[in-house]
Amino acid sequence: MKPYSWGLLLTALACMPAAATAEAPRQTLEMGAKPMDMGKMWQASLARPALSSTTTFDASGRLWQATVQGGYLYVRHSDDLGKTFSALTAVNPTPERIAADGENRPKILLGSRSNIYISYTQSLDKPFSGHIRFSRSLDGGKSFSPPVTVNDNREVISHRFEAMGISPEGRLYLAWLDKRDLSVATSKGEAFIGASVYYATSDDAGASFSPNQKVADHSCECCRISMAMDKDGVPVAFWRHVYGQNTRDFALARLDGHSPSVRATHDNWQIDACPHHGGSISIGPDGVYHLVWFNNGPERHGLFYGSSPDGGKTFSVPTPFGNEDAQAGHPDVLSLGQQVFVVWKEFDGKEASVQEMHSSDGGRSWFGPGRLAATAGASDHPMLIANQDKAYLSWQTEKEGLRLIAVIQP
Amino acid sequence: MNMRWFFYLVLLCLPAIPAHAVSPDPKPFGPGSMKEVAVAHAGKPFILAFWSLSCAHCKANLEQFGQLLRQHPGLSLELVSTDTPEEGAAIMATLEKYGLEKLQTRVFADRFVERLQFEIDRRWRGELPRTYFYDASHQARTITGRLDATETERWISANYPQTSE
Repeated sequence: MKPYSWGLLLTALACMPAAATAEAPRQTLEMGAKPMDMGKMWQASLARPALSSTTTFDASGRLWQATVQGGYLYVRHSDDLGKTFSALTAVNPTPERIAADGENRPKILLGSRSNIYISYTQSLDKPFSGHIRFSRSLDGGKSFSPPVTVNDNREVISHRFEAMGISPEGRLYLAWLDKRDLSVATSKGEAFIGASVYYATSDDAGASFSPNQKVADHSCECCRISMAMDKDGVPVAFWRHVYGQNTRDFALARLDGHSPSVRATHDNWQIDACPHHGGSISIGPDGVYHLVWFNNGPERHGLFYGSSPDGGKTFSVPTPFGNEDAQAGHPDVLSLGQQVFVVWKEFDGKEASVQEMHSSDGGRSWFGPGRLAATAGASDHPMLIANQDKAYLSWQTEKEGLRLIAVIQP
Repeated sequence: MNMRWFFYLVLLCLPAIPAHAVSPDPKPFGPGSMKEVAVAHAGKPFILAFWSLSCAHCKANLEQFGQLLRQHPGLSLELVSTDTPEEGAAIMATLEKYGLEKLQTRVFADRFVERLQFEIDRRWRGELPRTYFYDASHQARTITGRLDATETERWISANYPQTSE
């Protein structure tokens, strides 16, 4: 064996146990002699309205928004495309630590019979810990049920970064990143890489949830999950996974209770780090999966678009987009059939902007990029939402408030 | 003397407590701070390390920095937390655990994070930990994620010949 091979081997051996036990043992240290004052940290965060919110349109074109401020999750609506809003309705009756920081945001989903569904991650006393919470309104947003915890493992560990979806038949799905398996492994003194993906369903409009079911072991720890309904009305989750020791590529899985997860990207970004940078999936009426993501491997780095015409059996060659020298990041994708829209964020040295590109042939060729909006201050990740057959950019900015912009003028 | 006066007397005495007994708050890192840091180390090598309380992988690097500083007291290391100034106490408590509380440390003090990142490195999207090893001409070797101790030692030997064996 050559000397450098020994070096590599020693380095690999030295890294292994440390890499495998990345988070859990540190948490205990964290709460040792000098605990963090989580209460104080929370008080400090309360003073500011969170930039991370979610919007959605109902069938009549009314815009709904879930926002967080002062420990409360609020819902409001607008009948003039976000120019004016209704009064805020609080969801939680007592203040909670509601995670709203880029990859974690409150979710709002509209069901039939004017049902409104809310989910969020409640931060707990230990760093990296949380519970998945759910509330509903059965009266069109006038009142909300007291939030319940959906994760059936109640350890003070990470159950965070949830995604919510609803099937055409009205079955609710919540999927999230969960560290219960890491917790078991740690208690046995065994190694466990990353977190796990779990989900729960509800067939009674959120009155009750099924026992939690595991989708996959070894997800990346702090990137949002994205979820979309396929043409059969079954959700597909898309998340950053850890392959092998530390290759953080993306995976997807159909949440039908038996489909295995499949590897969706092969950028080979090997890293022991927190990218805080999840991807996005959209599935149009034709059933094609459209994916956008960020990776930073040595050969392939930046933002990428890819698609799968056959439910994840084969994938297109990834198409790069965005200006790397302008921090291109946080992409979102929306498919309305052959029309596919992609937005992402850039920064040019003065302003943060949302860039877009679109395709009218199902993602085979693209027009753009074009600049949709800009702000000279802090801003949320850009989101794409559908209003009937139109795509809108929804972007919360600190200076201008909510920006709602039709991606292509009708 | 009643309790109230005793309390005031204690308050009067507080400034007399040696400064090193109380960790100072992190210095704000805002627009222009990157330039200040570069000027402060003009013509000299230094390590600039970004980390966060919410980043599990960052703690391993902090641990390594604590050890490095004990072995190489002359090492120039700048730590910047990407948390908020309101979290100053938690930041200092974490640094103290790794023996890094005496370092001049900074914290992101601007919600317009893209602007700060742009001044540091146009290609940085905020992934953590992020470490820049600047040589004397301020050419950076950039490492995202956990640091390789052997590589770090090699960099120190090359850039700090006087402090290495």
